[in-house]
Amino acid sequence: MISRRSLLQNCGYGLGGIALFQLLGDEGTFGASNLSRGMGGLHHAAKANRVIQLFMNGGASQMDLLDYKPMLQDRHGQKFEPSTESRIEAATSVPGNILGSPFSFAKHGDCGRWVSSLMPNLAKHVDDIAVLLSMTSRTNVHGPASYLMNTGFQLPGFPCLGAWVSYGLGNINENLPAFIVLPDGRGLPYNQRGNFSSGFLPVTHQGTMIQANLAEPLHGLRAPSSARFITPESERDGLLLLAETNRASLAHHDFDPRMESRIRAYELAAKLQLSAPEVFDLSQESAATHTAYGLDNPTTEDFGRRCLLARRMIERGVRMVQVWSGANGPTGNWDNHSSIINELPPMTAATDKPTAALLSDLKARGLFDDTLLLWNTEFGRMPFSQGSEGRDHNGSAGIGWMAGAGVRPGVAVGETDEWSWKAVKEPVTNYDFHATVLQLLGIDHERLVYQHNGADRRLTDVHGHVIHSLLS
Amino acid sequence: MKQIALAFCVLLSLQVASAYSQNPEAMPLVRFTEDVEPIFVRSCTKCHGSLRQESNYRLDHRVLAIAGGASDAPSIVPFKSDDSPLIQYVSGQVDGMLMPPRGSRLTSAEINVLRLWIDQGAVGPDSSTFTANENQQWWSIRPLVRPPAPVVLDGENVIDAFIRDRLNAVGLSPSPPASREVLLRRVYFDLIGLPPNPDECESFMTDSGPLAYERLVDRLLASPRYGERWARYWMDAAHFAETHGHDQDRIRENAWPYRDYLIDAFNHDTPYGQFVCEQLAADAIPQGVTSKIAALGFLAAGPWDESTLRDIREDTLDRQIGRYIDRDDMLTNVMTNFTSLTVHCARCHDHKFDPISQSDYYSLQAVFAGVERANRSFDFDPSIEQRRQKLRNRIKQLDTLDSSFVEELLGPESQQALVDWELSNKAGRVDWLLFQPTTVTAINGSELTYQHDGSYLASGERPERDTYELSGVANLSAITGIRLELLTDKALPFQGPGRQDNGNLHLSEFEIDFGGDNHVQVSRALSDFDQDGWGVQRAVDGKTETAWGIYPQVGKSHEAIFEFANAIPIRSNTPISIRLKQLHGGGHLIGRFRVSVTSDQLPLSPSVLPTNIEAILATDIQSRSKEQRIELAVHFERERLSRELDALPKPSLVYAAAADFEPDGSLVPPTGPRPIHRLERGDIRSPKELAIPGALTCISALPARFQVDSMSPESARRAALAKWLVHKDNPLIWRSIVNRIWQHHFGRGIVDTANDFGKLGSQPTHPELLDWLATDFRDSGQSIKKLHRSILLSNTYRQSSRTTEVNLQGNAERRDDDSVRVDSDNRLLWRMNRTRLDAECIRDAMLSISGQLDSRMGGPSDRQFDLKPGRHVTPVVDYGLFDLDSSAARRRSVYRFLFRTLPDPFMEALDCPAGDQIVSVRANSVTVQQALALWNDSFVLRMSEIWADKLQLQKGDSSQHVTKAIVEAFCRNPQQPELDRFIRYAEKHGLANLCRLLLNTNEFIFVD
Repeated sequence: MISRRSLLQNCGYGLGGIALFQLLGDEGTFGASNLSRGMGGLHHAAKANRVIQLFMNGGASQMDLLDYKPMLQDRHGQKFEPSTESRIEAATSVPGNILGSPFSFAKHGDCGRWVSSLMPNLAKHVDDIAVLLSMTSRTNVHGPASYLMNTGFQLPGFPCLGAWVSYGLGNINENLPAFIVLPDGRGLPYNQRGNFSSGFLPVTHQGTMIQANLAEPLHGLRAPSSARFITPESERDGLLLLAETNRASLAHHDFDPRMESRIRAYELAAKLQLSAPEVFDLSQESAATHTAYGLDNPTTEDFGRRCLLARRMIERGVRMVQVWSGANGPTGNWDNHSSIINELPPMTAATDKPTAALLSDLKARGLFDDTLLLWNTEFGRMPFSQGSEGRDHNGSAGIGWMAGAGVRPGVAVGETDEWSWKAVKEPVTNYDFHATVLQLLGIDHERLVYQHNGADRRLTDVHGHVIHSLLS
Repeated sequence: MKQIALAFCVLLSLQVASAYSQNPEAMPLVRFTEDVEPIFVRSCTKCHGSLRQESNYRLDHRVLAIAGGASDAPSIVPFKSDDSPLIQYVSGQVDGMLMPPRGSRLTSAEINVLRLWIDQGAVGPDSSTFTANENQQWWSIRPLVRPPAPVVLDGENVIDAFIRDRLNAVGLSPSPPASREVLLRRVYFDLIGLPPNPDECESFMTDSGPLAYERLVDRLLASPRYGERWARYWMDAAHFAETHGHDQDRIRENAWPYRDYLIDAFNHDTPYGQFVCEQLAADAIPQGVTSKIAALGFLAAGPWDESTLRDIREDTLDRQIGRYIDRDDMLTNVMTNFTSLTVHCARCHDHKFDPISQSDYYSLQAVFAGVERANRSFDFDPSIEQRRQKLRNRIKQLDTLDSSFVEELLGPESQQALVDWELSNKAGRVDWLLFQPTTVTAINGSELTYQHDGSYLASGERPERDTYELSGVANLSAITGIRLELLTDKALPFQGPGRQDNGNLHLSEFEIDFGGDNHVQVSRALSDFDQDGWGVQRAVDGKTETAWGIYPQVGKSHEAIFEFANAIPIRSNTPISIRLKQLHGGGHLIGRFRVSVTSDQLPLSPSVLPTNIEAILATDIQSRSKEQRIELAVHFERERLSRELDALPKPSLVYAAAADFEPDGSLVPPTGPRPIHRLERGDIRSPKELAIPGALTCISALPARFQVDSMSPESARRAALAKWLVHKDNPLIWRSIVNRIWQHHFGRGIVDTANDFGKLGSQPTHPELLDWLATDFRDSGQSIKKLHRSILLSNTYRQSSRTTEVNLQGNAERRDDDSVRVDSDNRLLWRMNRTRLDAECIRDAMLSISGQLDSRMGGPSDRQFDLKPGRHVTPVVDYGLFDLDSSAARRRSVYRFLFRTLPDPFMEALDCPAGDQIVSVRANSVTVQQALALWNDSFVLRMSEIWADKLQLQKGDSSQHVTKAIVEAFCRNPQQPELDRFIRYAEKHGLANLCRLLLNTNEFIFVD
């Protein structure tokens, strides 16, 4: 039996000229087609070529944002008695009485989408986005649910969406990583870096985390100042001598493609060092852009800066950028157990304006021709109260939205019951969502496969159906 | 560029195929079971097999495979692959008929195999059926029989003879031996994971004796560094790390004893069967091995979902699903690593490819139905362990209290001791008087109901916050202190004592007034337990935003004593009012409580007796009822036993599989093995029949279900599985382990897929060698060191790794033989494989070369990061702030603390796994991130500096320093041109810069 892997090894070995195949982003990359760098996709023509995902950590409350349920307001404070046989249970609390949304709702746009008063800016863009009103999760617990929404499995150790995209399509610009993650300035989300892991895929596909607030925003980008023996000259001469030394030993010893790949890796590392600062230089952006993304306001500054960075990265050929809102922990995220009325507004205040600015900006710059914008969270929340005014986790209902290349604007998929307790019409799983995203990127989710410990692993496990009604 | 590579591949395989057709002698015979059937099983028979026959076509039956199909024409034309529709379909030559329509397509190599098979007549093992009795015949589960050894030539060992046989069969021959320098560096990194120092190089290079190499191998195998290197492979396999993973990535303070167990087991060459048994059931194998309890860390090594398994409500579906998933990790860890089968694939349905039923899978779940992951206490000293066990058993007897035990407690000996204790303790006891308030109110509406024992139980709607107010009088002349007891109650979550969903409460302020507004300050507060960061002092600090809490010790009663600086004089009508302010929110309210007061002398003794015992003691001895006497005797005995237990040396703890452990919130020891049901489609809502503990039915020599009596402890189940695994007639385990050891030496196993010996895995390249090694290993002591020795002493291992030779002009040339063409992938081992050093070897070599390596072994792991409390459970970890000059920086990498969701970016860039997945062989990537890490990581830079300082302390000029550096980094003497270049660079930019450069070279990173 000759496996594909050994076939590649066969070819790679001893043929110095094709060592580049093993290189860097391409090392262990699935994509076999030249088309992935353009718009051809891996398995079929792609609609989208790059992705920005905004991820609301903690479980954004659907009935307080987009899933309007007047019944909850009508019956506020009454006992929650849905007319089904399903057991009423909550993950961390005793189910309380019905909690009506404390926020007002109005219809917006030509599509007549209900949006709560917490998202006045998004409300202006409802005709640009496709809303998912029936997202479901297999679990009501953050850790497994965040893993599920990012990797398709409830356990640690599986590759996330960005890693699969990087593996499937490779990078667009070899001077920048294919997949970048921008976590909330307050800290990492639930599961920390587990959510951006490459799992069993080669490590090059993992999310490159950039933390602008740390002393070292990107590990190893440059030598720390503590290493005083390094000067610009020693650096320049050193890299040249290293390449010369490695080439000499290569010629003298053997034709081993891994050795040649290492030489090339140092060349590309040097290019990354040069190109990275330009990406982060927001002074190149106009004052109007700064204002639009809310960089002039402490409330919106952190999320706005990262949305703007995401746009700059996408423009420069990063394949996927994931922007997080909310850190792990009891507060400062979308996990509003204690009080919806007090804890949710700060989250929307920090994100609504930058999100809308990103939507406008991508559209105005024509980036929506090939860029997909996603808005997600790990699950929804309960229609009844936790304590007096909080909401517990709810895996049976939740929201998300998508916009941009290949997405049918202004539509909505699915419905929940009259309580927003359970998705009842066209429920959408993480598998369906991921299958749809991959579809837009020109990838058949059933054929993006990696064999690991005896199983053919996919982002969508053994599930997933493309949601065709979302596609334009 | 990869497109070019792929094009090359296709071209290459086509050339191979056409070369064969031109030269029929060179055409290898394609074997159906080994070569063809796996392709069909993976890509075709799901739809065209015994269960489904799409388009009326099936590939599991030769006649039907040839003739069948929707069209009238045959699908396979023997000897004519070009005319066979099968080939046209799989190679996409017919529009709309590309097969398979989904999933991975056949590779061109696979298509070529099918072509060759058809061209050779499309023969099967039997003229009519392809798969007669195939399962029993599958290579990995076939009984293990020692094959005859081939003829061993002079200077060879048995391994060489097997390898040579295969090479000769395809016209190849082994490579010449590697040079002594190369071999030395190879064997050092391979066995101990460190480079030889210049003295060791020197002594080996000058030892010309015929046994020099053998002596070197024996010396390295005897070195304690060996266990540190080889335990790390097992840590990868066990997916060991020291935090839980998931959202609550809590530190496991006691995971490291398992790592030390592994190092010790490898260093002492524990026979493999014993090694397996210890890791599965060290607690169930004969007495005297309690020191091996740490081995059970294996079962708990993987990730654990604390939120789901500890923090959410016990009655949720999520909790139940979580337990099945958690056991899945345990059984996968066991079966993958010991049997190399993918048993976990049978969770939702019977295994699609291998003979593993869903029923087998749930039988394995049942083996682990009685354990959780928790800190397990154990003693290295067996006599102390026995003493401790005896005391524990006696405490348990106090709970059940049979009649003979009661008789003993009421017997003269016990009673005398009790009387002595009563007399001696009377003086030191605080005399508490129950405070019986006349009014009890809760300002936010909690309903407080009087209980027969003088306590109050809170019920009704639970407000977010509340303050309980108690007013009344006390029949004392003065008050020196007040006691607040927080009591458990069945009506409370986790039995309380709090009303929060997790059983906790927060007492923000405890306030007391005498005679109206006379507020009295508490001078000292004592409690039996404080939640971390929520000490009882916080209930009397005057700040309502801080509070006393008792989490995670829920389900237990607690108490606090509030003492005054001086006795407060009162009269019998002085109004006393007590306020229990509980303002934290989230329903953190007291569930049941009782208040007592005292006028005893200050300071009050913090050791207090429960009210019921005090009441008995207050009764005259003669007037006590039998029940009271028993109650008192039980209390006394319990106190005595726990004092004795406390006096024993503190037991060690290991994070391991445990049936008995300290409860942690709602994570409590199970009362026995939980019932395990087969779950249809793996769905918790479709439980089917109860599963009986057992293993795999496909090993017909062994009983697949265990005879475990329902009264046996749960450990009997694990012991039964261990026995099944290490049985002489279990062919899997012996094949599995020798293949793993082989893989670590050669970079690749005899079976490529060390964790999958099933039909989706690879087949052995040398099946006879594998079986010979497996039987030899099994039957002669199961010694891993012996296996290493025979591999390392083989000529096969000692070959050169080169594919090129240096010609007379000093230029490299491709070897002048067929090896590269016929077996470019080196499957047949015509040369040694070159390997990249793994993350630990790179880091340890840098420590060693720079003279920093600290050889201290064992103990808690070195935390090479700055650690701050996080916003929630997971701490904030910053590797950049770690002090590289601290002592925690210098030990071997196997002692690094392994953080699951926050791994060290330097090690991660070098493919060090995070402990989430079972890893049988490390990835070997070349990435930009890796180049950046090696070039710029502060560890590499600091080692470069220290190394340069060390070199410069030695005598000599820069030429000598550079020469020494090259010897240390590469284990060879420098050549003139490179020496000149390096000296020039070092003189211009300093030696530290050159050291940094050397640590980044290919020659340092790879081992020939």
